[in-house]
Amino acid sequence: MNRLLRGLGLGGITGSPQAFAVSLGIMALLLALPALHNGYLELTFRNILMFAAMSYGWNLLGGYTGYVSFGNVVFFGIGAYCSAVLSAHHVDSLLADVPVALVCAALFAIVVGVPILRLRGHYFGIATLGIALAAADLANNLDVLGGSGGLALKQVPQEQFSLYYYAMWAVALACMLGTFAIARSKLGYAFVAIRENEDAAQVLGVWPTRYKVTAYALGAMMTAAAGAVYAPANGFVDPSIAFAVDDNVFPIVMSILGGMGTAAGPFIGALLLAGLNEILQSQFVKIHSLFFGAIIVLVVLFLPRGIVYLIGLRGGMRRYLADRAAFRV
Amino acid sequence: MNLEATPTGSASLTVRDLRAGYGDVRVLWDVSLEIEPGEVVALVGSNGAGKSTLLGALSGIVSVESGSILFGDVELAGAATDRIVHAGVVQVPQGRRLFGGLSVRENLLMGAYLRTDREVHADLERCLALLPRLRERYEFPAGRLSGGEQQQVAIARALMARPKLLLIDEMSLGLAPVLVDQLLGILAQIHAQGVTILMVEQDVQTALEFAGRAYVLETGRIVKSGPAAELLDDPSIKRAYLGI
Repeated sequence: MNRLLRGLGLGGITGSPQAFAVSLGIMALLLALPALHNGYLELTFRNILMFAAMSYGWNLLGGYTGYVSFGNVVFFGIGAYCSAVLSAHHVDSLLADVPVALVCAALFAIVVGVPILRLRGHYFGIATLGIALAAADLANNLDVLGGSGGLALKQVPQEQFSLYYYAMWAVALACMLGTFAIARSKLGYAFVAIRENEDAAQVLGVWPTRYKVTAYALGAMMTAAAGAVYAPANGFVDPSIAFAVDDNVFPIVMSILGGMGTAAGPFIGALLLAGLNEILQSQFVKIHSLFFGAIIVLVVLFLPRGIVYLIGLRGGMRRYLADRAAFRV
Repeated sequence: MNLEATPTGSASLTVRDLRAGYGDVRVLWDVSLEIEPGEVVALVGSNGAGKSTLLGALSGIVSVESGSILFGDVELAGAATDRIVHAGVVQVPQGRRLFGGLSVRENLLMGAYLRTDREVHADLERCLALLPRLRERYEFPAGRLSGGEQQQVAIARALMARPKLLLIDEMSLGLAPVLVDQLLGILAQIHAQGVTILMVEQDVQTALEFAGRAYVLETGRIVKSGPAAELLDDPSIKRAYLGI
């Protein structure tokens, strides 16, 4: 059936294929990064890959079904605390951390998603924000999670430093390929149908809640995987790290900047934004946020479909102006 | 253009004592109606009479308080929308409700979302043969089409679900009379292919001229029913809806 529909062209809203190819190319290059033996670069790009994974996690629900979550950091925290608690029980292996984080995040997303995904629009966003704030408070007060003092994980030996880079790379790649595969499947079309017109989707027999919860849970798993790798690499987790405001907001901005509802957008957005942030922060120590904000506003105004659109653009400025008039690029 | 019932193998719809509404607000009060296979039935009434709510209850998007909706031998009251579509009851919603950012082609294929048979492609061709305008607009975002074209997409999208009973909500809304006539011609062809039609219309004259039978809904209750031609001559209908 899937093959049939794909043959007919019901095969995917992945965004510009060129942009996806570029993303895969950059990912291939990033695999070689540890060979440079540059700790600063490795750390920077591990962060970028982490944000890419989190952006993919947000994009699946926010970009594809159109339900904007303001609380996806909850899943990052769940992933991070899964690794921390396992470490406290002397289990120090990503092969245990990641699967446990995936299961916990998916279960949490389903339990929470079924009630709150009945809310539409802003109400859903506010509910997710509430859950994120509540989760941080909960972690602050649970002794199992170390309370506000946090939990220390087993120290990473120097020679294993790159292991976590590779792990984060693998997580980001899995998110990228997973998004691509989902977008091309019938599942992806159900997501997009809900975004374009939820009532119509329902009338056609696409039960919205089922698909919204699916998107939420899959996105939660992507975000939690990033958290599960981050915690042991960082060696320490507390509520302010696990539920950081930046980790909540950046993935949203990155997805929008790169291109919501595309398979390349979150990665490209993470790359550009994190890179930009790094440069601005070093050049303009005091006012970097000002430039940062201005750039985001400009992109949202002139490229509401994200940078990904530019990568596939043929025909330059004239084509851009024509597309802009016709399709609100 | 009064359409006679054409016999087909599809099921009849029997609604018994249906009560439905939104939360505490009951809109439909003990509505009963019957539609035989191959009929074209109009459901008319003024604004707020409950017409769209009735279609919503039939489609499973409005919750049913009590009563039964029997389609063939399948009980649809309270069933999930996917089961209802699967049973062959498909709605063309009011105001088109297209997937604006998706192409015409993708909109049509979304109509076939639940289907697992291999005849989707053949049905796609059939829809395009019926509505040749859509072939010209095939790769266009549906949201960029004109009102008449959008209504055609909405009808074609419903056809892709292989309906036995097609529910059409306010097809004429916001369309020029010449476009409405065109669409009615298309509906007549769909009907000729054996699809039963229940149409909800505010344009009472158009509906009664097109349908074989009709029900009149007033404040959530069926107040009149019968052959459409007779209702068209009914003095009270003339007074209330036709302004004669």
